[in-house]
Amino acid sequence: MHQAVQTIVQGLLLGGVYALASSGLSLVFGVMNVINVAHGAMLILAAYLSWELWTRAGIDPIVGALVTTPVMFAFGWITYQGLIRRARNAAASTSVLLTFALAIMLEGLMGLGFKNVYRSVTPSYYNRSFKVAGIYIGEARLYACGAALVVLVGLWLVLTRTWAGRAIRASSQNPQGAQLMGIDVGAIAALTFALGIATTGAGGSLISVLYPFFPASHYLWITRLLAIIVLGGMGSLGGAVIGALLMGVAESLVAVYWDTSWVTGVPYAVIFVILLVRPQGILGTRTREDVAAA
Amino acid sequence: MTVGAGRISGSRLLADVRPERLAYAAAICAGLVWLLVFPLYTHDQYWQSVLIFGFVFAVMAGGWNIISGYCGYISLGQSAFLGLGAYTTGILTVRYHFEAWTTIPLAGLVSAAAAALLGTVIMRTRGHSFVIITIAFLLILELVAINLRGFTDGTTGITMPLTFYPTKWQNTPFYYVFFFLMLLSVLMTWGIRRTKFGTGLIAIREDEDKAGAVGINTAVYKVLGFAASAVLVGATGGVYGYFLTFIDPTGMFNILYSVFAVLAVLLGGRATIWGPVIGGLLIELLREEANVHFGGSSLDIVIFGGLMAAVVLFLPQGVVPTVSAWLQRRRTRHIPGVSELAIDLRAAGVPVSTGPRGSDRRLLEVDGLEKRFGGVRAVDGLSFHVREGTITGLIGPNGSGKTTAFNLIDGMMKPDGGEVRLDGRRLTGRPTWERAHLGLGRTFQITRLFRRMTVLENVVAPLRAFKWSQLAAGAVAGHEVRRAEELLEFVGMLRFRDTEAGALSYGQQKLVELAQILMLDPKLIMLDEPAGGINPTLIERLAEKIRELNAMGKTFLIVEHNMPLVAELCDPVIVLARGKTIAAGPAAEIQADPEVLDAYLGEGWTADEMANV
Repeated sequence: MHQAVQTIVQGLLLGGVYALASSGLSLVFGVMNVINVAHGAMLILAAYLSWELWTRAGIDPIVGALVTTPVMFAFGWITYQGLIRRARNAAASTSVLLTFALAIMLEGLMGLGFKNVYRSVTPSYYNRSFKVAGIYIGEARLYACGAALVVLVGLWLVLTRTWAGRAIRASSQNPQGAQLMGIDVGAIAALTFALGIATTGAGGSLISVLYPFFPASHYLWITRLLAIIVLGGMGSLGGAVIGALLMGVAESLVAVYWDTSWVTGVPYAVIFVILLVRPQGILGTRTREDVAAA
Repeated sequence: MTVGAGRISGSRLLADVRPERLAYAAAICAGLVWLLVFPLYTHDQYWQSVLIFGFVFAVMAGGWNIISGYCGYISLGQSAFLGLGAYTTGILTVRYHFEAWTTIPLAGLVSAAAAALLGTVIMRTRGHSFVIITIAFLLILELVAINLRGFTDGTTGITMPLTFYPTKWQNTPFYYVFFFLMLLSVLMTWGIRRTKFGTGLIAIREDEDKAGAVGINTAVYKVLGFAASAVLVGATGGVYGYFLTFIDPTGMFNILYSVFAVLAVLLGGRATIWGPVIGGLLIELLREEANVHFGGSSLDIVIFGGLMAAVVLFLPQGVVPTVSAWLQRRRTRHIPGVSELAIDLRAAGVPVSTGPRGSDRRLLEVDGLEKRFGGVRAVDGLSFHVREGTITGLIGPNGSGKTTAFNLIDGMMKPDGGEVRLDGRRLTGRPTWERAHLGLGRTFQITRLFRRMTVLENVVAPLRAFKWSQLAAGAVAGHEVRRAEELLEFVGMLRFRDTEAGALSYGQQKLVELAQILMLDPKLIMLDEPAGGINPTLIERLAEKIRELNAMGKTFLIVEHNMPLVAELCDPVIVLARGKTIAAGPAAEIQADPEVLDAYLGEGWTADEMANV
């Protein structure tokens, strides 16, 4: 019983971090209808940045999120202006191939810059744990989950309480309408993309403590994140959070009760099952495709 | 003769293109001969293995070209089928002692079956889900190969038996096997492009809903397309395993090979016959260069990623098609385009409407139809019927549920309740294409032609039934061409038969769309705002055609906002408001009905004002 509770709690903590990592992917898809296949690579890039901060300057990765987040925001903005903008009005296949190409480039560049070896950030608490009411809780997971929730609440406040956030949500629901209301949809798309990538800053910093990573880890991460947003309902932020928590728990259960070597199979299985049984995901709705086609 | 101008410029275009086409064909032939004799005059093992890898990439690219180039579904999991093929032969050979030559076709079959299964699984989803599932499929196979140690030997990998021919032949037999597989792949691509199967795949790429609406069984087409894209890759994977003599998870399920396949097609040209081969060989040369200069570093990955981004952004049609289009533009610079050809403004003599038409037989019956979007009841217990031989109008204010009703009737949407019957047969639950086969033809509010097909190809695209044999039937058969030409002549669009549909004006597209659904020989023709957004002359031509067809016995259901046209054409007229029928009867009666006026305009309007809306 203790073990079951402990597994679920550990899974939920992990899920909190997954929620942050997948929020940007879902946001960008919701507003721009672009699946950013490079999202995982950006996450790993941020993880390397916090590794550098930690090894060179001894900055704790969770504190380092304060640095990596604005850096990744800028990176996202530049990426949008340099690449994504050009594929804005092209077919969906174009943006998928483009972001996939970007993912490969980033993988190669990280290999050149940080070498193809596994890294992980190991602050003093990375393998310590608390014992509360008879169950063990990993300190790193707890802190990381707390930090992730703070960033997620911040993102939620930006989206609901600011003019820019309202403009983002308006563009997501009806780009033409938003344009007619005087919203510069192009600028909003740039802001959305930058904001979405900014979440990989904090997200990458947090996972750098939880998981060892190397450049090609991004394939694993992008499938995990895609599985989460497919599970939750593509484009829905609330769905991403629910999907992430479920994913965290499912992975923990598989690791404890079955075999750790099958943990990475959970996202793949989730993708297959969801697309077969409920393609719109948990919170997704089927929209009127006949109107959108015009 | 009105068609003269189009014909002349068409044949001049052909004459201009011919020398380049000849040169292209000659270059392809010379290249093939060179590849055929290459191992005979040199024993250079390095170049032979370079070409072998080139063939492997060409086959992978050929497969990708079918599902992504023709059918438009982007796959990033092409190497999954290579690995699956290799593991199939590996396991059959090492564990079950199969003969080498029997394992190769089996490898192809296993890959094709896996693709078909995967295709069936995701039949209900569209677009983005497909990309996601192809990546997941590749990675899940790799994980299974790593974890099922008892079966696959995990990361240790399977060591294949050495080849069974004299060693002095070196890799030459492999060279010819791969060369043969590459030719087979080209042959398959060519064959598919020439059949109904190929045009069906392209129709799905251009507009999947529309493809269903004109009777194409999109489910079967997609599944078969995906299987066809995997079968030769699987067989090649089988040979590839023998060639490398070693099969391991990371080498076989290498996502970079998927990248090569994509890149090869993008370079060589999407949806072309030889593009994948040219691209595949090009990619291998680039890979060797990158290996020589940056081997061992990650720079080669950066270069391939960068190349892919550059091609996607700047040469989306591929290098070869871009160059040939450029050459063609240079040669045809002074030939007037379609837009400069004047439209035939035949005066439309409008015959006087001839009393009540039609029989008492109910061709279409709609019974208690319901559709909700979130909290909005777009169609709310809608019931009406269309009598055979009538031109029935369906009018109502914006948002009253007319188009939704159309989509529910033709199966583009699933109703939340209610039933639709055509000629006494239940349509509910049947896919769009079956409804088309049963005699339902519809046009769209915004025209939905297959923009990158010619007018003729558009008109021959509809299928009146699904038969397995049709998949192999020629794409454009002679009798179909004659029928299509008659229909194009009928709507006055014959001169544009070889024009790309996307180049036509909006009104012209509406006429072609009408010809297109007539190809289905439907019992009931549903037109969604036929007069919307087109000029008055074309409206008259359209009205005239509708009357002629009606006189020939076709029944119509027309959604239209142009009240004079409705009053002139339709009897009876059915009025919708808030998803329900509120009135039905002759146009004159409807226009005087206070409830109808109220629904349209609020109170205080008169029938005269209504007629001018």
